[in-house]
Amino acid sequence: MSGEASALRFALRRLRRGWRSGELLILLLALLIAVSASGTVRLFAERVRLALNEGSSEALGADLVISSNRPLPEHLRESARAAQLRSAEVLQLSSVVFAAEVSSLASIKAVSADYPLRGTLRLAALPYAPAQDAKGPPQGAAYVDAKLWQDLQLQAGGEVAVGELKLRVAGVIENEPDRGNGFSDLAPRLMMNRADLDASGLLGPGSRADYRLYLAGAREAIARLVPAQPEHGLRYTQPQDARRELRGVVQRAGQLLDLAVLAAMLLAAAAVAQAARQYGEKQREEIALLKCLGASRAFITRALLLQLLLLGLAAGACGALLAAAGQSALAALLQSSLQLALPPVSLQPLLGAVALGLLMLLGFAAPPLLSARNTPVLRVLQRAAESPGAQRLSLLLALATAALLLWLATGDAQLALRVALGTALTLGVLALLAWLLVRALQPLRRGGRRGFALRFGLANLARRRGATVAQATGLGIGLLALLLVSVVREDLLDSWRNKLPADAPNQFLINIQPEQREALQAFFASHGLGTVKLWPMARGRLVALNGKPVDVESFDDPQTRAWINREFNLSWTDVIGSDNVVTQGQWWGEAGRGQAWLSAEEYAIERLHLKLGDTLTLDFSGETQTFTVHNFRKVDWGSFKPNFFLLAPEDAVGEAVPRQYIASFYLPAARRALLRELVAQFPNISVLDIDAALRQVRGLITQVLRALEFVLLFTLASGLALLLAAVEATRGQRQRETALLRTLGASRVQILAALMAEYALLGLLAGAVAAIAAQSLAWLLAVQLLDIPYGPRPLLWLLGMLAGALLVMALGWLSLRGSLRTAPRQVLAG
Amino acid sequence: MSSDRQAVVARHLAKEVSSGTQTLTILHDVSLSLPAGESLAIVGASGSGKTTLLSLLAGLDRATRGQVLLDGVDLGTLDEDGCARLRAGRVGFVFQSFQLLAGFTALENVMLPAELAGYADAPARARLALDSVGLSARLEHYPAQLSGGEQQRVALARAFCGEPAILFADEPTGNLDTETGARISELLFDLNHQRGTTLVLVTHDAQLAGRCTHQLRLRAGRVI
Repeated sequence: MSGEASALRFALRRLRRGWRSGELLILLLALLIAVSASGTVRLFAERVRLALNEGSSEALGADLVISSNRPLPEHLRESARAAQLRSAEVLQLSSVVFAAEVSSLASIKAVSADYPLRGTLRLAALPYAPAQDAKGPPQGAAYVDAKLWQDLQLQAGGEVAVGELKLRVAGVIENEPDRGNGFSDLAPRLMMNRADLDASGLLGPGSRADYRLYLAGAREAIARLVPAQPEHGLRYTQPQDARRELRGVVQRAGQLLDLAVLAAMLLAAAAVAQAARQYGEKQREEIALLKCLGASRAFITRALLLQLLLLGLAAGACGALLAAAGQSALAALLQSSLQLALPPVSLQPLLGAVALGLLMLLGFAAPPLLSARNTPVLRVLQRAAESPGAQRLSLLLALATAALLLWLATGDAQLALRVALGTALTLGVLALLAWLLVRALQPLRRGGRRGFALRFGLANLARRRGATVAQATGLGIGLLALLLVSVVREDLLDSWRNKLPADAPNQFLINIQPEQREALQAFFASHGLGTVKLWPMARGRLVALNGKPVDVESFDDPQTRAWINREFNLSWTDVIGSDNVVTQGQWWGEAGRGQAWLSAEEYAIERLHLKLGDTLTLDFSGETQTFTVHNFRKVDWGSFKPNFFLLAPEDAVGEAVPRQYIASFYLPAARRALLRELVAQFPNISVLDIDAALRQVRGLITQVLRALEFVLLFTLASGLALLLAAVEATRGQRQRETALLRTLGASRVQILAALMAEYALLGLLAGAVAAIAAQSLAWLLAVQLLDIPYGPRPLLWLLGMLAGALLVMALGWLSLRGSLRTAPRQVLAG
Repeated sequence: MSSDRQAVVARHLAKEVSSGTQTLTILHDVSLSLPAGESLAIVGASGSGKTTLLSLLAGLDRATRGQVLLDGVDLGTLDEDGCARLRAGRVGFVFQSFQLLAGFTALENVMLPAELAGYADAPARARLALDSVGLSARLEHYPAQLSGGEQQRVALARAFCGEPAILFADEPTGNLDTETGARISELLFDLNHQRGTTLVLVTHDAQLAGRCTHQLRLRAGRVI
């Protein structure tokens, strides 16, 4: 008979006999929650991320866009066909178009019939009239935007001349998914069929055009098409490179999901550690006896580890099943709003979750359980004989495992380290608070005249100082999770949702001339729209960096090259809004007036590798001016307000520099007709309608919130498991005490009252501690992650303490109601 | 110190436990009567039913058949809480494994029965009781900081602190060395004489049993 075989037999027998005991059940439950939480999220993380990317794909019109200023090589189309991807051809160039005698410079976009692959093109019969979904224009037809319609003074059913070709105007574009809300492509739009382009004669030798291949399909196939080093002259754009405001939402959503899972896993880990320690304690006498009977340390180690492994495998299998069910629930939630074709469930993430569960056992359950091996054999004879504690090692191992788990779960070492440090800090603060509160109870240790039950219960907390601090900390963490999940979540998510209020600006006005400012303000005032902030803007080209002349060829990075190629929009102001945060240097305020300074946004810093003190020389249509970088800024592009990569102080830009103004405002859908009046009065002003983009972001946020709520259910379950583990931890001790108290003459009501008083106070204590921590964490999340303001919530304190008292009382009653029935004769059993 | 009043009376007591389909009889038809102020030693080999009998007499467990009168009260007429109330005022205990609450100091452990009986001066009584067992210097010590003999002295102080009419002791010297055991039994009988308590004692120790006014010998659940 091999040692392993007999250790396995022993482990199996031990589990069979012990599974009814509370701590094994809690261990199993906590592990189950951890595996299913991590499995569910791992399984649908891909799907969620896909869904979120899909949201951004809409902004790109595809899952991948390959572009070049030369015709695209044929092998790209062949690879796309081989990978069974859907594709559309888009070609963009500038040309003058005519309608009768009127002409206008237009940005012409020739698209194949399948355009767009993602998102929707929306068309109306007349400018600002109700619109419908559409595909690219058929041959012989053109779609124009409201601006071109107006510039060409078109009528319904009119014709436009594009090169040598005449096209019938078949609709007015209300929303073009891949146009974005940037200001780089402001020329009025004419959209035509790709097949008509050759007949137009526009595409002659030497003509400047942007050739694009739009692709959509399976994620893996798309990923395989993107080379590490693109061929010269080819640009690859994916959803994550698309619009800034959507990217922010997707990133935050991912972080929030990760945080929710991390919280669930850490809580479950704490419950596992708690339950394992207790299970180990219970086994001490048995281990002493086994040693006495001649079992080697190696046998005991094997038997204990095998018990854990068996438990881990059982919990892993059940957790994997639950995860599979959980992810379908989530997929169903998201699918209904996104209509996505989701990839089939793969086994790999499930195996990963089971492995994570086993790692959790190894790091959190094994050390406290294995410390039971150190039980001296003398314990057989002398119950009090205690083993030297290995608690410090257990704690270190648990912390190291927590950090490893966090890192494995997120793949983000910095986030893992932050959460681990935050958790350690929270635990430390919770323990300190609990200790202080317990010290305050010290005077209650001595008896008084009346109210035995209440006094006994209260004094019990003070008497068991160490255990009370440990329990209040454990309970505090559990309650913290519940508070964060139930109350703070609402607060935070509402604030996030409200960041884009219903009246967020949905219209931009561009090209406002200096002399039109007063008339425009008067127009707004007369229509009850109040005054709008007008931002000055000068267009300049970067000609020198730190005195050294630069052009496109000075930069290798394709994004920088593309940016340098265009004119920069420079604005100037004394004040910045809350969507701008200075990250380095000082904001100049009014003191900066007339100084040739620049404030650079992160994008500009990254593209040009800027440092404070660098100089940029800009050429404004012949007027050259040099500016010094005075400070760095971070812009929240999700605010949907006008923002600039480069800002200067007031009066810094010379009077001779030509300038125009831009403005943004909110216009309810019902008043869209007002835009027609506006462009009639100010024909040169372009209206940019970003209502669709706003709707897209709001839709994305709603989906993220749903996903998050689902994942938070796991966090909630782990919090409850930890609460239960913390209460269960002292069950054996309480059972013995109850029997003794009964023997000494305490009535059941007295004992129950004492226990409830004790638990209520413990709950109040833990609730207070949790409320403090929840408030701080919520503030941190709001300010650091979500960029939203967050103030104190007094109700949270009250709720925390009340919920703490009620929950702990209920769990205590559940856990101890059996003990209350303990026959006092058990006390004689020793 | 004896009187005609019977402190403990048992009539035809039987205790059966069922384990699956089998019924095991632990006690068969035990009857006894112990006048107030006297002492009774229940002796017998391991498994003879001594501790079961003690638990039935103290109302810690229910007999399958028969009747117990404790200080004149029929335990059969009381529910569990009724039994507890009776014990709180009139019964003290000493256990083989001391049964002190680990998180409580010596003083807090001793105060417990007096608190449960509703004495307002519980701390003062506890101090007196600890003084009477020679532990007035160890009031604030926790059980783990006390030797086995000292722990049992705390348990004795606790047993007498509530001024019980009847004291039940289950192998009070069983966990102690001979010398300490002898000192504890000395203390137990001294306190018993001083307070006029009725004492019911379960023991293996023939010497300890010999100090009691009555002895009841059990074998396989029967009085012999």
